[in-house]
Amino acid sequence: MVAARVLMAKTSLDGHWRGINVVSRALRDGGFEVILAGMVTADTIARIAADEDVDLIGLHVGGRVEVVERILDTLAANGITTPVIAGGTIPHYAVARLEKRNVSCFPPGSALDDIVARARELTAQDVVNEEE
Amino acid sequence: MTHEPSGSPVEDSGGREWSTVSGIPLKISYGPDDVPEGTRAAAAAPPGSVPYLRGAHSLGYRSKPWRIFQLSGFGNPEDEAERIRYLLSKGGTGFIMEHDRMTADNLYDVDHPEVVSRREDVGISGAVIMSAHDCELALEGIDQGRYYAHAGGGVAQHAPFAMAAYWNVALRRGLRLDQLNGTGQADFFLTYIGCPPLHQIPPAAALKINCDIVEFCNQHLPRWTPISMAGYNAADSGLNAYQELAAVFACNIAHLDEVKRRGTVPVEKLAYALGGVSFRMAMDFFEDICKLRAARRMWHDILHDRYGITDERALRLRIHIVTAGSAMTYQEPINNIVRGTVMGLSAVLGGVQSMGISAYDEALSVPSEQAHQQSIRAQQILMHETNLMAVADPLGGSFYVEALTAELEERAYAFLAEIEEAGGFIAAMESGFMHGVASENQVTLETMISDGTRQIVGVNIHTSDHDPFHIDGFQGSIDAWEKGMQRLERHRAARDRDRATAAIDSLERVCRTGGNVMAGVMSAVGDDVTVGEVGEVFRETYGSWKFPVSF
Repeated sequence: MVAARVLMAKTSLDGHWRGINVVSRALRDGGFEVILAGMVTADTIARIAADEDVDLIGLHVGGRVEVVERILDTLAANGITTPVIAGGTIPHYAVARLEKRNVSCFPPGSALDDIVARARELTAQDVVNEEE
Repeated sequence: MTHEPSGSPVEDSGGREWSTVSGIPLKISYGPDDVPEGTRAAAAAPPGSVPYLRGAHSLGYRSKPWRIFQLSGFGNPEDEAERIRYLLSKGGTGFIMEHDRMTADNLYDVDHPEVVSRREDVGISGAVIMSAHDCELALEGIDQGRYYAHAGGGVAQHAPFAMAAYWNVALRRGLRLDQLNGTGQADFFLTYIGCPPLHQIPPAAALKINCDIVEFCNQHLPRWTPISMAGYNAADSGLNAYQELAAVFACNIAHLDEVKRRGTVPVEKLAYALGGVSFRMAMDFFEDICKLRAARRMWHDILHDRYGITDERALRLRIHIVTAGSAMTYQEPINNIVRGTVMGLSAVLGGVQSMGISAYDEALSVPSEQAHQQSIRAQQILMHETNLMAVADPLGGSFYVEALTAELEERAYAFLAEIEEAGGFIAAMESGFMHGVASENQVTLETMISDGTRQIVGVNIHTSDHDPFHIDGFQGSIDAWEKGMQRLERHRAARDRDRATAAIDSLERVCRTGGNVMAGVMSAVGDDVTVGEVGEVFRETYGSWKFPVSF
């Protein structure tokens, strides 16, 4: 079985790497192949997601929800339907907005096991869809 | 009753081995034999006498309470001014200006494409200050001659601009530089370990510029602490308590050696200039208290033993602390008031000159006004209601405290030796040695939360789905980018263009010829050069450093 590929990127220009490092390590330990993109723009995230044919996009949110929504819009405009999860300092109102767009949110204090479990669910579903 | 020697943890009936969060084994109780021979004399010396283990001043807080020094800033410069005035009106006894992270950390103006593509993030944590004029707006109604200030510039490459902007505003208001009281930061942990921007000058260039700042302040701003290494940022990036101590002093040693090599500042003055540092207080109560005590003695011993300094003023470490932002939980944030108070209490007991308590809404946003006021009130309650200021170093002589202080110090020296074996501070930074240590610790700390070794109320124990005290965080000003664009356009149109162009050229010459960069930036910002233009010169002349970790 080929490992599911996760693209990890930061939405803002804030380079705190502690969160993304810990989550990326947990995903790797959980059997995922992790592609680290760093602080990149919406267009770059969409390009890498397409080029690398990723199964999941993980966004580290360090800024406003509008910037995350721009990334979602850019993915949609490029026909990318890859599921998205988001972690970081995401206040409640932003969680609500992102969940409306099917983004699973993991604010501070989320358990790593829960993140990995959700990543598995989302990527397993993908595999099922491809087989149909 | 006999006591096991240090390092022999005693298991409880359940077989659990207890230790500090940094992994120092803990016994059930401590006795006289646990205090190492070498620490007894220092522990017996009263506060205010060498080696200052027990405190920098003989009168403790009786001579001077700690400074209430809270970080603030968001949105537009006017928002920043309003918040600073608010904090001062509530009893803040100094202020720390936070510049917008996107523009400041990267040295970009708001029209840089990387900023434009994420424009809503502008101003989310820090005010947009691109010019001396913007800084003037951020200081509206604030008397620079009266208050102790941190002008911003936690990030090394941003420090010259942040201070130049603040100082130029003071000059424009008719003050003299030698009247100004405050501190710089320019620390090596914020962006060289903790949160790198897209572009930053290499650590060696930052060291050079920091030494320029030290020289400039020595000449022009005798009351200003030129730079201040922030162990806080090392610790919140993952270094443990004794690694934080070692990293701060290794960094200061790099600065001492460089300025000493230049021979431009007398070594006593240099030591004093570098002797204001910050540490992080987190939730391991006694470990962090002992860290502050160990820090004072280490700084004294390093200066005395390595540099032969005997001037008592220079040998006293001055400590600012910030309570750990990472300790503040997103779940049931009102409980963070307790966490802030506990961390603040440990700082008071450890002995500090200055303190910032992180806000209860820290895990959600920059502080709301209410949360910011609460941080100040927590400090005031500790100051006025508890009688804590009466007695200096109240824990001195405790077998446990003296033993743990000595243990932290011993481990800190061992880590300092590792840094020196790795080629010294700058080499250990450039090679990624420090990042590797931080990364391992980050994972270990997270694993300890996952497996329950570290318990956090509301996060992995006593969790609940419903929070009766709903707190949604502070949303700040959404128009900071647009208003920044308007100000930038007006600024460029209104300034003397030839003069600004000449100032940029002149700054570039200074950077290329190894002149004093602080003096160069001071002059350029006085001629209305912007933060983005300073950044272009720095990127052009020093290049960009490749961060040694992928993320």
